[in-house]
Amino acid sequence: MTDTPKTSLLTVDARTRKRNAAEKRFKAYGIVAIAIGLLFLVVLLTSILRSGLPAFTTTVVALEATITQEDVDAAEGQLLKTAAYEALLVAKVNEFLVERGSTIEVDEDFITDRLVPKTGATIREFYKENPDQIGQTVTFDLPASTRISRYFEGDLLREDVTDSRFLEVADLDVVDVMIDAGLITTAFDWNFITGTDTAVDNPGGAGIGASVIGSFFMMIVVLLLALPIGVAASIYLEEFAPKNRLTDLIEVNISNLAAVPSIVFGILGLAVFIQFAHLPQSAPLVGGLVLTLMTLPTIIISTRASLKSVPPSIRDAALGVGASKMQAVFHHVLPLAMPGILTGTIIGLAQALGETAPLLLIGMVGYVAREYPDGIISGFVDSNSAMPAQIYTWAARADTGFYEKAWGGIIVLLVFLLTMNLIAILLRRRFERRW
Amino acid sequence: MPILTLLIALAVIAVVGFVLGRRRALASASGDSRKLHSLPSYYGYNAALTGLVPALLVLAVWSVAQPMVLENRAQSLITQEVADDGAMNLIMADVRRLADGLSTAVAQGALAPGEAATLTTDSTDVRAILADVGVALGSDVGPDTLQAAQAYRAGALSGALWKSALVLLIAIAGTAFALMKTNAAFRARNTVERGVMAVLIAAASIAILTTIGIVLSLIFNTVEFFKMYPAADFFFGTVWQPSFSGRGGASELGLLPLLWGTLYISFVALLVAVPIGLFAAIYLSEYAGPRVRAFAKPLLEVLAGIPTIVYGLFALLIVGPMLKDVFGADGALGVAWMTGDRAVITAGLVMGIMLIPFVSSLSDDIINAVPQAMRDGSLGLGATPSETIRQVVLPAALPGIVGAILLAASRAIGETMIVVLGAGAAGRLDLNPFEAMTTVTAKIVSQLTGDSDFSSPEALVAFALGMSLFVITLGLNVFALYIVRKYREQYE
Amino acid sequence: MKETNMTNAKISARAVQVYYGDNHAIKDVNVDIEDKTVTAFIGPSGCGKSTFLRTINRMNDTIDICRVEGDILIDGEDIYDAKVDPVQLRAKVGMVFQKPNPFPKSIYDNVAYGPKIHGLARNKAELDQIVESSLRKAALWNEAKDRLNAPGTGLSGGQQQRLCIARAIATSPEVLLMDEPCSALDPIATAQVEELIDELRQSFSVVIVTHSMQQAARVSQKTAFFHLGNLVEFGETDKIFTNPEDPRTESYISGRIG
Repeated sequence: MTDTPKTSLLTVDARTRKRNAAEKRFKAYGIVAIAIGLLFLVVLLTSILRSGLPAFTTTVVALEATITQEDVDAAEGQLLKTAAYEALLVAKVNEFLVERGSTIEVDEDFITDRLVPKTGATIREFYKENPDQIGQTVTFDLPASTRISRYFEGDLLREDVTDSRFLEVADLDVVDVMIDAGLITTAFDWNFITGTDTAVDNPGGAGIGASVIGSFFMMIVVLLLALPIGVAASIYLEEFAPKNRLTDLIEVNISNLAAVPSIVFGILGLAVFIQFAHLPQSAPLVGGLVLTLMTLPTIIISTRASLKSVPPSIRDAALGVGASKMQAVFHHVLPLAMPGILTGTIIGLAQALGETAPLLLIGMVGYVAREYPDGIISGFVDSNSAMPAQIYTWAARADTGFYEKAWGGIIVLLVFLLTMNLIAILLRRRFERRW
Repeated sequence: MPILTLLIALAVIAVVGFVLGRRRALASASGDSRKLHSLPSYYGYNAALTGLVPALLVLAVWSVAQPMVLENRAQSLITQEVADDGAMNLIMADVRRLADGLSTAVAQGALAPGEAATLTTDSTDVRAILADVGVALGSDVGPDTLQAAQAYRAGALSGALWKSALVLLIAIAGTAFALMKTNAAFRARNTVERGVMAVLIAAASIAILTTIGIVLSLIFNTVEFFKMYPAADFFFGTVWQPSFSGRGGASELGLLPLLWGTLYISFVALLVAVPIGLFAAIYLSEYAGPRVRAFAKPLLEVLAGIPTIVYGLFALLIVGPMLKDVFGADGALGVAWMTGDRAVITAGLVMGIMLIPFVSSLSDDIINAVPQAMRDGSLGLGATPSETIRQVVLPAALPGIVGAILLAASRAIGETMIVVLGAGAAGRLDLNPFEAMTTVTAKIVSQLTGDSDFSSPEALVAFALGMSLFVITLGLNVFALYIVRKYREQYE
Repeated sequence: MKETNMTNAKISARAVQVYYGDNHAIKDVNVDIEDKTVTAFIGPSGCGKSTFLRTINRMNDTIDICRVEGDILIDGEDIYDAKVDPVQLRAKVGMVFQKPNPFPKSIYDNVAYGPKIHGLARNKAELDQIVESSLRKAALWNEAKDRLNAPGTGLSGGQQQRLCIARAIATSPEVLLMDEPCSALDPIATAQVEELIDELRQSFSVVIVTHSMQQAARVSQKTAFFHLGNLVEFGETDKIFTNPEDPRTESYISGRIG
């Protein structure tokens, strides 16, 4: 056994070299694994940003118009009033083209169908509200058609354009002149932030605003229910519960509920809240109830952890001066554990905010988010959607124009989640206490 | 009285009770709070809670029970032939909408209150009246339905009245009773604390109620489903083909293709997540310095905080087309294996990415629980760190890691949005990972969000699917949590 | 350097300094440890004796903030030389820890672990041989021979510690470092381990850190007294315990400090 020849420590033998090589390889696997994980993250985030940012901008065409009282009267007298207003823009555009030395002349169809479709209503509305502008020269910023805005952004090349009802090759010459003159620009699309869902053939007008409100009301329900119930349950389990079969059962129950697939909570909500209790379908109230049940285990687990981290000496000190157990918990332990509880609650809320599957089952799909609720009660009980469900609805639509909206919606959703997590981190930093 | 007003009234009674209780206690101790058994505010709380809690309980019970009672009463008024429960549900939905409509009409002045209760289908076109006030009815109103709706509405009106009266009475009586008992010797604190304790216990029981609710809602509807569709055909059927017509009876609803898709996708996901997650955890816990750890660990965990809908969209619009560019007909490999964006591999890969942080942070915890003494023992014998990890740390952590992987598997099986968007819609028993398949969760969503009515087998099958999903994931979770708990106890 | 080799020193430490971050844990220690003797390190808690022991097989390398200066020579070779692989060093300088730490494997695999990773056995028979002789040397063979496949964690505390000693000597080290090997054991198990240490002296140079002065007196031939990171006194065990030169040593021995 000891007959191995005496070796010097200063020379590394072949076996050790081999083992060290194996060591390096093993370490490299770890680095590669982390690199792959981070690569996925980068790819995911860049995809979101690249595909989603365009949802926040829109291409607008600035068109001048001088519309007189006679024009208005004539237009109001026609059957298609809005189309008549659109037609009034034609003359100015042709004037502009001549000014720029262009020989092309455009017709009404170009304006009303292909350049700035469906904008007659906007113009008519404007003059109704501002009658004093009649006869003046007004510049309208009108949303460009999908194809022209893609052409402007470079996503659609001239070679790929074939004549169709939506765009003709010859139109591009006019558009080029307008681009040169700076009439076609990119603007921030406020409608995406404040708007509501639209019909399946109008991706351009769709906005996420209504479903943000839906999510907001749901989060209110979750916060109002999950926080008090979660804290009460945790206090009982952590501070008062006797060790017996029942409390054991509750504990096992909670850890298992935390791992039950979210869709099962959706089934629960559908069967209990809608079929059995006849609560209104698609209502943020019901969505909030379902999400409350789903987040409760998470909140209970984190709350118990923060209660546990308050050292027993605090309880002993309170009991020692004659406080009851209840007073010791409510006056001393709970306030000390509060930052941790709030952090856990915010993280639980963030989780609930991003949850989609259970909402689909209780009818909170996107197309119900057509209008804003009228008031607080209406906000809770009237049909609405929520951000993730709205995103799902857009992603599932046939018109690919909605994909951009879905990605944009994801950016909005992630901004909310990021904010909530940042608040949680700041809370933890600010109030973290080491015993 | 609307519910909001009622709640405000209760709150007012409670506040008054609090003030009176406190004042009465102080008065009985002739203003000297030291003579009281408890702090003065406890007497106030006692008075407020003794009224408020029973009143709220009665309110909750009544609110749940009233619709059920009214429903039964209204149902008995329906005399026409009703095919089955499903048809009855539809009729009752009409009844409710009609009752609501009548109330709206009265509120807007289109009908006089008395008129709403007495009008008949012979003399009036109810549908037209309601359409005027913005309530659209799907069909013309039959005499039975109108009668049932009127009974329903009358019951709801008088019920609401009785409910408000009873609740207010209980609140006042409870508060008065507590005030009567208030004197200096009364143990107000103990009483209040017993009440608070009851509230705490009730909160803790919600977890159990939730589980019971899940189990009951699954069981009832599953039993209903098996009445219409043989259980054996469901569990052992190899074809998933629901008919779209609703109740055509030609549906084939076999679980096996969905289960296969679920397990196959989960397997692909674990194939991605386990090696990457495990090696990342090993590197972070055994090799990485504090700076790398502080940087890489939270970044990896960002992946866990991203909602699943984002991963779903990522699968559908980025990963699917990308994979098709490689494995599709005109792809980089020129193999034409993949025909569409949606496939097992698309969903599996993306789900794997989602699970990486789940596996890595659980494994990280578990590897850290292996005592340092174990590593020292191995390093002290001249083992390299990797030998120590492979031959000492990992075997010691194995049960915990297996538990973590099972938890990840359960999460993969229950994941919904990624497969709804990325996996496909057709149930298929196939080995090709580039083929579109569907899963249990995806079909639960599609069967319950479609237009088919809730009592058709095509909709009820979702509950049987949910039941299967619940049983499988629950089994995995219980087993995994048991393993992990045993593992932790070993090193505590 | 030359003069150190003139003595019978197995290990020579020259001007060794150890820092944990800003904390200067070992201050300028010089010591020669002889072959085939038991050397005891004694001193109050936190005096640096365990730290110094761990520098001898570079176990401190696993702690990021630890820095070692000075020379430690084993058979005249500087173990902190850049060319030295700690893996090879530790095969030569075995270590037994304070708490018994058998791996969660069978008794056989525990002992065979070292020989396997260092490739000391050419075949199964040789490995069996190494395991048996190590267990015999650790006085555990009779208790363990019928349950070699049972898990090492199932043994009693004293047996576990002897298993760890068997595990350490299976790689046929030249030096055996023991960090308070009996502190987690009951008196009977302690007696068995102490007896074992005395026998191990035939084949190895043994360095033992101990809290118990009686134990140092019983098992060692040489004793080093550490105090606040300094090596206060080093010499024959008998002399240190009966006639110490330094007043600090005397106060410690008579129980006034520590």
